[in-house]
Amino acid sequence: MAEVILRQVEKQYSNGFKAVHGIDLTIKEGEFMVFVGPSGCAKSTTLRMIAGLEDITAGEVIIGDRCVNHLPPKDRGISMVFQNYALYPHMSVYENMAFGLRQQKLEKLEIERRINEAAETLEITQLLNNKPGEMSGGQRQRVALGRAMVRKPDVFLFDEPLSNLDAKLRVSTRISIAQLHQDLKAEGQNATMIYVTHDQVEAMTLGDRICVLNQGRIMQVDTPMNLYHLPANKFVAGFIGSPAMNLIVATLIKENEHVYTQLACGTRFLLPDDKAQKVSDKIGQKVWFGMRPEHISTVANTSQAPSEQGDIALTHINVIESMGNELYLYCKLGNEQIISRIPFNPDDSVKHNEDHYMKFDMSHCHLFDIETEQALLY
Amino acid sequence: MTTQTIPLPRAMQQDEKSTLTVLLALFKQRKTVTNGVSKSIFSKSLKHVFLIFSGLIMVFPFVWMLMGSMKSNDEIFSNPMNLFPEQFRWESFIEAFNSAPFGLYIMNSFTVALFTTLIVIVNSAMFAYAITQLKFRSQTLLYFVVMACYMLPGAVTYIPSYITLANLGLLDSHTGLVISNAASVFGVFYLRQVFLKVHPSLIEAARIDGAGEVKILWAIVLPQCKAALATLFLITFITNYNSYMWPSLLITSQDLNLIATGIRQFFIAEGNYGLNWSQIMAASSIAVLPLLTLFIIFQKTILSGIADNGVKE
Ligand SMILES: Nc1ncnc2c1ncn2[C@@H]1O[C@H](COP(=O)(O)OP(=O)(O)O)[C@@H](O)[C@H]1O
Ligand SMILES: [Mg+2]
Repeated sequence: MAEVILRQVEKQYSNGFKAVHGIDLTIKEGEFMVFVGPSGCAKSTTLRMIAGLEDITAGEVIIGDRCVNHLPPKDRGISMVFQNYALYPHMSVYENMAFGLRQQKLEKLEIERRINEAAETLEITQLLNNKPGEMSGGQRQRVALGRAMVRKPDVFLFDEPLSNLDAKLRVSTRISIAQLHQDLKAEGQNATMIYVTHDQVEAMTLGDRICVLNQGRIMQVDTPMNLYHLPANKFVAGFIGSPAMNLIVATLIKENEHVYTQLACGTRFLLPDDKAQKVSDKIGQKVWFGMRPEHISTVANTSQAPSEQGDIALTHINVIESMGNELYLYCKLGNEQIISRIPFNPDDSVKHNEDHYMKFDMSHCHLFDIETEQALLY
Repeated sequence: MTTQTIPLPRAMQQDEKSTLTVLLALFKQRKTVTNGVSKSIFSKSLKHVFLIFSGLIMVFPFVWMLMGSMKSNDEIFSNPMNLFPEQFRWESFIEAFNSAPFGLYIMNSFTVALFTTLIVIVNSAMFAYAITQLKFRSQTLLYFVVMACYMLPGAVTYIPSYITLANLGLLDSHTGLVISNAASVFGVFYLRQVFLKVHPSLIEAARIDGAGEVKILWAIVLPQCKAALATLFLITFITNYNSYMWPSLLITSQDLNLIATGIRQFFIAEGNYGLNWSQIMAASSIAVLPLLTLFIIFQKTILSGIADNGVKE
């Protein structure tokens, strides 16, 4: 029910450390926005500034149509779910959920109605009289979710809500959160959600859009698909995707009207014409050459002369990891370590400690400026 | 300010405090023993032997006092090491009560200690909350000031406190006693340590829920610190109940005496030094009863202290 806008938001902690360097971001009403980034990149700090738990050093935070810089957390129309659940240990589940509603001076019947409704949605009705100490991690996180829900906030804030759960629970709770977002939407309660995580799977699966942060700066804000296929810079390219994108320093060279990316070892790959056009002013310069592991595949027919093709290289396979349905090949290409990801095929004869030809699908390659690290091809 | 408590029947106060300490130590011990399954039986029993031994040393004066109250005065002096009286005499209790208004003194001590303790708990909690959970500039400075006060010897504050109370017209009154003891540096220090363990996210959650600071202190922080509060209550109460030196300076009217000053005045100060020991012990034994009762009431809370704190680390 409310848009969240950050305008040139900065944060400097009292010890002088500058955690956030001017963030500009508009989160649409009803949107599920995920903040993702490595640990210490100021995801939590940013979220806590939106919540009102940290002062804003400079800039503006706008929720709905109000600047909330100086509003206390309770007046911002937000609910927050903490990583450690932050349930009041001496209160029952019911009391935990009722506490905030009582502060709002809601009527007793309304409080009861809201709690029962939320408890039913989250399937925690039978836990209402339990204390937090008597429940499992997953149950506690559901209660924390319920406590956030009953306040019917405009904006839900989540700070790594799943990181304390084991892998299986993490998946099911993740789905519950996605479900909650859809249900609220269906009920016409168009709640905005801002979700902090360092886990890119959570980010990719939950987010309508994802905001990738690094060292207190926004690296890219886009849909999961675009982040994956059109990373705006080397950081996003390397951060999103698992196994990570191969990133190698290469030189752009031009020969017979063809543009190649040439690696230090001399191996060169032919750049398709449309891509070559975009980097025509970079000929002779170094660039970051990026390839997703799934775009590097083994070539069955090894007798073929590789150099003429412009997309085949001879590599040495060091290690093979089997994921069941697919294989990760860790290979050496010159001095570079590269990863290839291929579907598992029982007839395949890939073996480790062997040289093998690999095909680089150049229509999917990425190039980044060596200094600014910005994408050059789109 | 803190008053130095120098009660004349020394056995009484020391016993009370040391039995408390030993019991607490024993309970803590029990906890770690159940946790450390791998500990060898030998080291376990060694610990128990040590604890039982030190427990006996500490409880001895207390038992000696109790038994002494049932001996005759002569017996106390002829056979001081005899723990059990040749003949149990209950007369000293009656005699003691007849010779001075001990019921009144115990009442006085109890009310003064109760009010002092309640005020100490309220303001220590607020102070500790402020220096642990609120953000303001001179936070650390404030804490160091408090710690500096802790280093100050109590006796140094007697004269300024006396003058201040005189100016307020509160000499020789229980109000004066309560007010002059109403701030406890120990209380602030102790609760600060306890409040630091309350997870900050709980307080943040409560702020988002819309609770004000007083409400958070009262409804979120304090209920999690019941054990610490019970401990602080007990320690403060006992100190004030047994307080001797400061009340003896402040209180001049007979009927306002606290129990420690009362016992001294009636049995020792009036020239019969050393004559009524069995009565002194009887009176002291009675004076300890309210404290024992309190301890029994509070011990469950103190032990329940180590509970789950509702957040996951
Ligand atoms: N209270 C604080 N005082 C000083 N620095 C802090 C404080 N809280 C966090 N930081 C620093 O700010 C940076 C961002 O922290 P945080 O927002 O918690 O990162 P994230 O949640 O992305 O892991 C980190 O480098 C951290 O050390
Ligand atoms: Mg964080």
